[in-house]
Amino acid sequence: MDALTHLISGFAIALQPLNLGLAFVGVFVGTFVGMLPGIGPINAIAILIPVTFAAGLPPESALILLTGIYYGSQYGNSISTILLNVPGTASAVVTAIDGHAMTKAGRGGPALAMSAIASFFGGTVSIFALVLFAPVLAGWAIRFGPAEYFALMVFAFSALSSFSGGSLMRGLAATAFGLFLATVGLDPNSAIPRFTFGSLQLLDGMDFVVVTIGLFAVSEVIQLLEDTEGGQAAAVGYGRVMISAKEFAETGWTMVRGSVIGFLVGVLPGAGGTIASFLAYSTEERINGANGTFGEGDIRGVAAPEAANNAAANGAMIPLLTLGVPGSGTTAVLLGAMLGLGVTPGPLLITEQPDLFWGLAASMYIGNIFLLMLNLPLVGFFVKALTLPRWFLIPGVAALAFVAVYAVNGSSFDLVMMTGFGVVGYLMRKFSFPLAPVILGLVLGPLMEKSLRRAMALSGGDWRILFDSPIAITLWVLALASLLAPALIARKGVPAE
Amino acid sequence: MNQTTETSPRPLSARIGGGILLTAAIAIAVEASTFEVAFLTDPVGPKALPLLVAAILAAGGLAQLFRPDIDVAWPESAVLTRMAGAAGSFVGYAVVLPYVGFFLSTTAVVTALSLLYGGPPLKGTLAAAALSGALWLLFVSVLGLPLPIGDLWMR
Repeated sequence: MDALTHLISGFAIALQPLNLGLAFVGVFVGTFVGMLPGIGPINAIAILIPVTFAAGLPPESALILLTGIYYGSQYGNSISTILLNVPGTASAVVTAIDGHAMTKAGRGGPALAMSAIASFFGGTVSIFALVLFAPVLAGWAIRFGPAEYFALMVFAFSALSSFSGGSLMRGLAATAFGLFLATVGLDPNSAIPRFTFGSLQLLDGMDFVVVTIGLFAVSEVIQLLEDTEGGQAAAVGYGRVMISAKEFAETGWTMVRGSVIGFLVGVLPGAGGTIASFLAYSTEERINGANGTFGEGDIRGVAAPEAANNAAANGAMIPLLTLGVPGSGTTAVLLGAMLGLGVTPGPLLITEQPDLFWGLAASMYIGNIFLLMLNLPLVGFFVKALTLPRWFLIPGVAALAFVAVYAVNGSSFDLVMMTGFGVVGYLMRKFSFPLAPVILGLVLGPLMEKSLRRAMALSGGDWRILFDSPIAITLWVLALASLLAPALIARKGVPAE
Repeated sequence: MNQTTETSPRPLSARIGGGILLTAAIAIAVEASTFEVAFLTDPVGPKALPLLVAAILAAGGLAQLFRPDIDVAWPESAVLTRMAGAAGSFVGYAVVLPYVGFFLSTTAVVTALSLLYGGPPLKGTLAAAALSGALWLLFVSVLGLPLPIGDLWMR
């Protein structure tokens, strides 16, 4: 089979000593940073992007490092969720229910082991699915013109606005804010400066690293001042980081179902991981609710969302790699990083840069193995790091964020911008506006505007070109459906988180 | 320990927020309307997206202005002061960084932040200095990324 030979050559790349080492470093550092209170994957990646650039690695190696960080930070997030009940992302909220209940019952160790095993399981299943489906989707997407791309991006925006929690209106406003930030700078089409107010620094536009770190990390550092004592880990007893053979057998089908649900949901734009983990959890509750203790520390309540979450994380890589259109805040940050490395993901990526694509796919698998090897024996170390006092951990994170922002352009103006976005991010949190759509709007905005203007130039200003192909019409219908979906789901009584 | 004092709905905050959003939307629209269409080959032009953005933001602002549905629980004033102190120290950091250099200014800002988080002064300062030194080693020595030494020491 064609995919198999490609995958073998991918493993040859991923197993090169440098790349193997980078996958390890990425997973380790990602776990560490992702575990810190309130940080989570999106911050871990944004803070570490300038470090990755500074290291001057070849693109495929830099991407291997970044995806390692992506995975590691997901797992680090699970550690603080299970032990401290401080989920850094919405998708970890479900894990907190039974995971933290297990910790309170002195069974944090088995919960952490289950989380690692389920993540590995979900990761493995979804990587194989990715290898099978990505080339198919890429072959299909090759026919996309600017009108189809425009419709696809509108779909991504409307799905994320609508599923990012809370009200649709606020999700759309957050997206619009991101699109506004994307327009700041010199307009590439007309060479007109937009919203720069004569500032030379703004002429190059907003750097997504500065915006992301400001909106997420700095606003979190400010917000955590509301509660300087909370979330502190008193060296919690968690028992042995192991699960018994019986528990493994008990959760086998749970992990299979979680992985499949996670992958399918993850491919769709919107809050993939969040919906996937909720759906996987509620499915298990429905199937096993009668003979389980869901909500009070059922190990399947950890296995289902963790498998789904990880599978969704890989599923989300499919639209990113084959279409160049991310569906979440985290994958939007990854897209920004790819563009910064000179890699343009899209339907041609697999055929034009096969080493990069297949090397990445193989290293995703290797990263998963590292996660399992690293996390089961090293949980004690990570937990010890969590017991460090807040007055040390949070300022440490802030210092890392400053260096990262400074490193982007070597300019202290960026540090002022970062602080400004930190205050804006804090206010957005206070007013319950979601933050992820801002990043998606900022990263995808230029591409969306370019597609729209190219399509309109092709048609000589005729708007009908946007609805001229079956693919485009399908995408418009999906965009509309995603806007209406939460209202319909809410009517049925399911929480639309 | 939650130090937020006000948990009842605060439509006033939401209305003010809505008003600010609406004002921003109008400002964006006014500014965007000055972007002249440069080429006939570009029927959309540079102002279409900003105007769309302004329309969405205006709708969001109007919604909160007239039908506020957001509960804003503001922290007590002592906490707000600490937050302002944190943001102020970050801006101060950006200002002094090129002159004083990375090590001293980072030590100062990390110490300030750890004090705001209720850390012990002496241990906090030592930890901040150790952290700044470690970051300098990592970025300058290992990764070869230049961080400012400080103009003050260069003369």
